[in-house]
Amino acid sequence: MALKAFLNQHMRTTLLRCLPTFIYCFGLIISNAQGNHTLSGYIKDKESGETLIGANIHLDMDPTIGTLTNTYGFYSITLPEGKYRFVFSYLGYQNLIRDIELDTNLTVNIELVSGIEMKEVVVSDKEDEADENVQSTSMGRVSLPTEQIKVLPSLLGEVDILKTIQLLPGVSSAGEGSAGFYVRGGGADQNLVLLDEAVVYNSGHFLGFFSVFNADAIKNTTLIKGGIPAVYGGRLSSVLDIQMKEGNNQHFAAEGGIGLISSRLTLEGPIVKERSSFLISARRTYGFDLAQPLIAKTDFAGTNYFFYDLNTKFNYQFSQKDRLYLSGYFGRDVLTVAQRERDIQFKLPYGNATATLRWNHLFNDRLFFNLSAIYNDYQFRASFDQEQLHFDVFSGVRDVSAKFDFDYFPSTHHQIKTGLQGTYHRLTPNIVTGNAGETEFTSSAKPKFGNEFGVYIQDDWKLNDWLRINFGLRGTLFQQTGPYTSKITSKKYGPGEIVKTYSSIEPRIYINTNLGVNSSLKGGITSTTQYLHLVSNSSSTLPADVWVPSSEIVKPQRGWLYALGYFQNLQNNGYEASIEAYYKSLHDQIDYRESFVDNSVDQVEDEFVFGKGKAYGLEFFIRKNKGDLNGWLGYTLSRTDRTFPDIEGGRVFPATYDRTHDMTFVTNYTINPRLTAGLVFIYATGRTFTPVERLYVIGSNLQTDYGPRNSQRLEPYHRMDISLTWIPKGGEQKKFKSNWVFSIYNVYNRKNTFFTYTDYTTDLEMGDATIKAYKVSIFPILPSITWNFKWQ
Amino acid sequence: MAMRIINCILTALIALMLFTSCEQEYTPPKSPDGPKYVVEGYIEAGENPFPPYVILTRTFDFYGTLNPAQFTGSFIHGADVSIKDGDLEVVLQEICLSDLSPELRKEVAAQFGFNPDSLAIDYCVYLDVLGQLQPQQEKSYDLRIVTENQVITATTYIPKHVPLENIHFEAPPGSPNDSLAQLRCSISDPPGVRNFYKYFGATNGGPLRTSFSSVVEDLFFDGKTFEFQLFNPKTTESNVDPDKFGLYFVGDSMTIKWCNMDEAHFDFWNTLEFSNANQGPFSSYTRLQSNIHGGLGIWGGYSVSYYTRKVAY
Repeated sequence: MALKAFLNQHMRTTLLRCLPTFIYCFGLIISNAQGNHTLSGYIKDKESGETLIGANIHLDMDPTIGTLTNTYGFYSITLPEGKYRFVFSYLGYQNLIRDIELDTNLTVNIELVSGIEMKEVVVSDKEDEADENVQSTSMGRVSLPTEQIKVLPSLLGEVDILKTIQLLPGVSSAGEGSAGFYVRGGGADQNLVLLDEAVVYNSGHFLGFFSVFNADAIKNTTLIKGGIPAVYGGRLSSVLDIQMKEGNNQHFAAEGGIGLISSRLTLEGPIVKERSSFLISARRTYGFDLAQPLIAKTDFAGTNYFFYDLNTKFNYQFSQKDRLYLSGYFGRDVLTVAQRERDIQFKLPYGNATATLRWNHLFNDRLFFNLSAIYNDYQFRASFDQEQLHFDVFSGVRDVSAKFDFDYFPSTHHQIKTGLQGTYHRLTPNIVTGNAGETEFTSSAKPKFGNEFGVYIQDDWKLNDWLRINFGLRGTLFQQTGPYTSKITSKKYGPGEIVKTYSSIEPRIYINTNLGVNSSLKGGITSTTQYLHLVSNSSSTLPADVWVPSSEIVKPQRGWLYALGYFQNLQNNGYEASIEAYYKSLHDQIDYRESFVDNSVDQVEDEFVFGKGKAYGLEFFIRKNKGDLNGWLGYTLSRTDRTFPDIEGGRVFPATYDRTHDMTFVTNYTINPRLTAGLVFIYATGRTFTPVERLYVIGSNLQTDYGPRNSQRLEPYHRMDISLTWIPKGGEQKKFKSNWVFSIYNVYNRKNTFFTYTDYTTDLEMGDATIKAYKVSIFPILPSITWNFKWQ
Repeated sequence: MAMRIINCILTALIALMLFTSCEQEYTPPKSPDGPKYVVEGYIEAGENPFPPYVILTRTFDFYGTLNPAQFTGSFIHGADVSIKDGDLEVVLQEICLSDLSPELRKEVAAQFGFNPDSLAIDYCVYLDVLGQLQPQQEKSYDLRIVTENQVITATTYIPKHVPLENIHFEAPPGSPNDSLAQLRCSISDPPGVRNFYKYFGATNGGPLRTSFSSVVEDLFFDGKTFEFQLFNPKTTESNVDPDKFGLYFVGDSMTIKWCNMDEAHFDFWNTLEFSNANQGPFSSYTRLQSNIHGGLGIWGGYSVSYYTRKVAY
């Protein structure tokens, strides 16, 4: 029924129009591939058996002929019969060169040796690697292996993937210490955050100061801030694709650490050696637990706060052609506030749960298939009890999704991906229930439902030595479904009945023109549509903010991104540099109306206003990839603004996260094999804010009259963090390895403003008032120490 | 209310973390657009209503301190202020405290919640001195002000009154304490229409005050008989012991002024209270929603009733 509904209206018409073209292209490609032979297999880490994502395979004689492993570590390269020397390489691993006579289809699994095991420097000796950033069609795409993230300084010693990606050009932070991020002028809800393909709707702990991703359980992080391939959809601005480790299938291993605010432990090992493995990883904070004996003696006995994460993954290889993965994540923040004297108990648990079941199947050496069943559930709950008064607030998002993807490698000139995804959404706004004495009450808000479908096809097509095109097309369809009562017509819709349908065709085109072996010019156009929305009335997103679906009232957000970039590698790929310019137009943007009051009793859609936005900028990036000293320098010059007819009469105003200048410098230096230093420096134009302009008296108290929205800026933000990683004697043993990470956040104690507030003392009788405005900074110089270990 | 409590607790959580935070005072930039007109006017119907009045002032720039001369100088004098109820148009007369006899001055000051002996500013209002207007429930009233060649207008509606019922005191929740009491009462909310409520409280004959959260609408309890607690505004102030928050002292007398108002009037107070409670690290600004065309503030109608009880249970 769902599929039937999917193939309707505009989608069906458009797809039917496009289908003959696709069939023709497929036929052409397959016919061209006849008479060639295919080398395929998986590329893995030799020590752990982990598959390597994005590993490079190319011919030694011509680095431009090659391919990459896909998300599951699978590669396939088809060439005319002959004898070839292949180079297999991956960031931070020793290259492997192998001579292979390709006179038939061959399956060769490759094991690469990590060059950085428990060393604190990621030396990407890319001298022999292909110029992937120059050769590929991808733009605005950065992959960060977790080992690279772990060597950088961190807040309170908590290694944080989301804070690391904020160091890339075009990505800005939601605020001091926040794991929230904005990409190229897009909103916080416009980032698609995936953990093993499951959407993570709230990626922050402790009001966003720490991310939910435990680095010990993460294998690879890829941020796509520009040319989003057609395989991804549902968000306007970026994709953050995070892959969990699969678990060591060679031997049992344990990894963990003890830090200032949390500890973590990861266990992994084979279930059946080389065929099956597991990974279980946990992290929990304990600051308040340690304070419990003190709290127990006060009126606030029972008050506590902690967060935890649990990651698990199992995989089983049934045959050379079939493999099953089951992965899951469960995390919660739990706040309890108790006050005995007033008989008050307040509980606030919230967090995500995800589960992904995937089946990989090789139809043949060139056709890789993946089928995924995905479940994710974000819940926010708060309850308050005081004698006769009790209330509960609940909101959340629950998705059930199925998707299949084909990766087809017909020749070295084409890499085709196609697939289909369907998702059932249940979105619960803030629903308040409770009772005051015998009177029960409940808010009028009701859960909303929707079906979202996406179908895509893309071909990375190498036309000749200097021209490469990645052409993709994604068709999407969203249906708001019942139960629902129309606010426009008052019509009542039953469960599953379609209320409103939206569809979209999203072309994605990227062209790479090689200007030489080490330089290229790339350009691209990306069209995206977003059917789920998170609108926040805060300066940052909060766990209580609710996601709402597109509906008869709320249109989908739509965006177009135009990008042009020049890419240059220098000194045998020791340095890679790029300049990218982008222009993004955003339509049907959503914000709360002016004077919005969050009282949970209204349907939030009634409080929305709709408008448009634009963002444009220039990004400069240079990265040193080899040697004892490596790192990167990024600079972004940008502007992003919004226009809403119902806000200040349609005045164009800069977005809260508009940053004119944003510069980051990230480096690490291997002093000796046991000592590594890291440094991060950030400079950014101050955040915009809405100033208090006037004061006036109402009800014997002073009130504030605000100036135009976001018409002032805080002072510039800058900060330097340093770290030192030390491997003690005996810490580099083969079986047991350990290190100490000493980190200093905000080393020169810069007082960056986190927020501003005003404070009034008024005595109208006496005609006296004292008015003060304050800027508050939260993180002064913060040293931390973490001990990490690995046993294998 | 629920979300406000959650926001307060989230802010408290942040405050726990901010033990290392650092504050610096700063001066916001001066507005390039000059001052605005501010209207605060009310019209009441029901039990013992106060005559309609309007306070007309100008905004201040953001100063470090304000003195009596600045407050006194903010009043706008000589404006043409009139109220129209459809047929009858009444011109209000400007009266300043300094114009009144000591007896009348005392009476008026008490109505505004001031001690006349310590009042340092010359309070001026535009008032229906002669009582020409007899405000009624379920009627609209237009306000028109002309001053300095500017016209300021507003309209408000006085809804039908819904009285308080079953007013009584109970022991406070938590640890036994026989010197404190919580005030509980109920209303029978009329079904099918949106109703908006506000209350003022006073103890021992003192001035009427409002608490940090004095307004509510009936979306949670439309058409139901709903029991709730009313805070003592005096014990919700920041300098009061948290254990006494919102409670009354046994032996005192208390007075509640209970009001119904229209949606625009509710929106003004709702945004005002939300704005005052919602300052903090993650807060966005909240612009007060005004029904004044040509200025800031409120022209608000109330239907009112008063209840006085001795605090005992």
